Amino acid sequence: MERRSPLRTHLAVVVAILAACRGSEHVRPPGRVAALTVTDDAGRTVALARPARRVVSLSPTVTELLFALGAGDRVVGRTTWCDYPPAARAVPSVGDGLNPNIEAVSARRPDLVVLYRSTLNETAARQLERLGVDAVVLRQDRLEDVARGARLLGRLTDRAAAGDSIARFLDSVLAAPRPAPHARLAFVAWDNPPMVIGAASYLDELARMAGGSNAFGDIGAPSATVSLETIATRDPDAIVVLADSARAPLPAYASRPEWRTIRAVRERRFVVLPGSLFGRPGPRAAEAVAELRRRLEALP
Amino acid sequence: MTRWLGLGLAVALAFALAVLLGPAHIPLAQLASSDIVRSLRLPRAVLALLVGGALGLAGASLQALVRNPLADPFLLGLSGGASLGAVLAIALHVTGPWALPLAAFVGALAAMALVYRLGLVGGAELDPRVLILAGVAVGAFASAVTTAIVSLSEAAQLRNTFLWLWGGLSGASWDTVLVVCVYFPLPVAVLLAAARPLDLLALGEEPARHLGADVEPLRRRVYLAASLLTAAAVAVSGVIGFVGLIVPHAMRLLWGHRHRSLLPASFLAGGALLALADTTARVAVAPRELPVGIVTALVGVPLFAVMLRRWTAS
Repeated sequence: MERRSPLRTHLAVVVAILAACRGSEHVRPPGRVAALTVTDDAGRTVALARPARRVVSLSPTVTELLFALGAGDRVVGRTTWCDYPPAARAVPSVGDGLNPNIEAVSARRPDLVVLYRSTLNETAARQLERLGVDAVVLRQDRLEDVARGARLLGRLTDRAAAGDSIARFLDSVLAAPRPAPHARLAFVAWDNPPMVIGAASYLDELARMAGGSNAFGDIGAPSATVSLETIATRDPDAIVVLADSARAPLPAYASRPEWRTIRAVRERRFVVLPGSLFGRPGPRAAEAVAELRRRLEALP
Repeated sequence: MTRWLGLGLAVALAFALAVLLGPAHIPLAQLASSDIVRSLRLPRAVLALLVGGALGLAGASLQALVRNPLADPFLLGLSGGASLGAVLAIALHVTGPWALPLAAFVGALAAMALVYRLGLVGGAELDPRVLILAGVAVGAFASAVTTAIVSLSEAAQLRNTFLWLWGGLSGASWDTVLVVCVYFPLPVAVLLAAARPLDLLALGEEPARHLGADVEPLRRRVYLAASLLTAAAVAVSGVIGFVGLIVPHAMRLLWGHRHRSLLPASFLAGGALLALADTTARVAVAPRELPVGIVTALVGVPLFAVMLRRWTAS
């Protein structure tokens, strides 16, 4: 077993303090206009002196985007959840993307850190800034966000043309004529207490693009706790669940008596979708839409 | 007599509302034939009455045992133990329909055993003061371990485990009702039978001994029965706060300190309060649902405040 020597721990602390001091004195030379200035989704203005060469991506969507932009070789850190593309797994993980470990992130010596937008992450972005590391916070809840993010990340990594083309592609996916909804779906995120996906979510958006509708589209939040009775009354045509793979077995609650008050559960009308493709918006959205459309048409 | 009648009516009313009301509109004529009523509302209403009753009864007994008005069923480390059990089960990928309830139950029992053992230090007597301290200490330790697991683990479901733990009765089915019906009678009977000796204990330890109460065995019996009851309540419905704390006090205002009335009254009132709170949780913000523990406080505190006022005024 490896024992971590106290000396090493002290050194780490000293290095962190030094880094912090350097950060506070980190002032850009006056008169020199930064080459790249962007405003992120938290309203912060971020100016990079030159295109980012070492990027730590703190969200699976951003990791996918960077690889799709052709900037995969610049990704020097990722979260434990970044599982696509397969090449991303070779990048060292820095842990969680929400409330990230700042020390682990800065240890990768990034010149740009990309974070998912949340209150905790905005604090993290400010901490990184104090360490002299540029950070952008991006909303990634819906496909529109990814299109905007593709353009922004393209500029920051010197892949502006690729960013524009991904964004235009995603815009075309969004603008494509939508089939008339022929299946009402309940996206069940958790069974006890029962939680469903509401309107402010990527899955709701996906459903509408693929010829389905969200039976809980009237709930504004991304997700909400509801009672089984409500699901039974809404009587969805199918229950959609995310799993590790599309071949995962049906969720355990499918055979529980209280769940069998729901017609779709009784009739085993489940659509099991792989979480990596469907759990987050990303450059593979067209693939997700096509796959979901196929699965919905295959429903009996 | 009118008080008992009133309490009986309250229970009946709470039960009727729980069956009649819900996010789904079901006409009266179809009530008996509706699958939603038979498979969802009825077992949930019955479970609410039983679990609320168990919490009220356990709270009243523990308050008498440790002679502390702040005692509630979760004071003695049981909620911490239950959380730890449930989180461990998820972190270790134990699956199955009963995995979470069983793990929570085992965790609560482990916490109970540890607190009990600590309560016996310094002699063969179960010292109530040591018991409270041991309960708080074990509870704090269990939540620290729980938080460590949650922050180190990569399982996304852990957040949802907490929703379940602070959750409520959404997992109710006839299976759960059956389990509870088989399990509850013994500890409930033990507690109800302890009513007279608990009256004596309220006079103080020495007087109780002189009046012929077997203080030590009584304490052990009451402690174990109340904890077993609470552990089962956690297993089927998570940690529902407030019922076990306020209901006994409210009943004391109405019935006085005699446990022969106080204990059954706490059982009935606890059940009525939880059934009422659960109906509110399901209906108030439909189609969404509130955590029932929040509603027990929202419904219970104003009720209690009114009673407190009338009691202090008279």
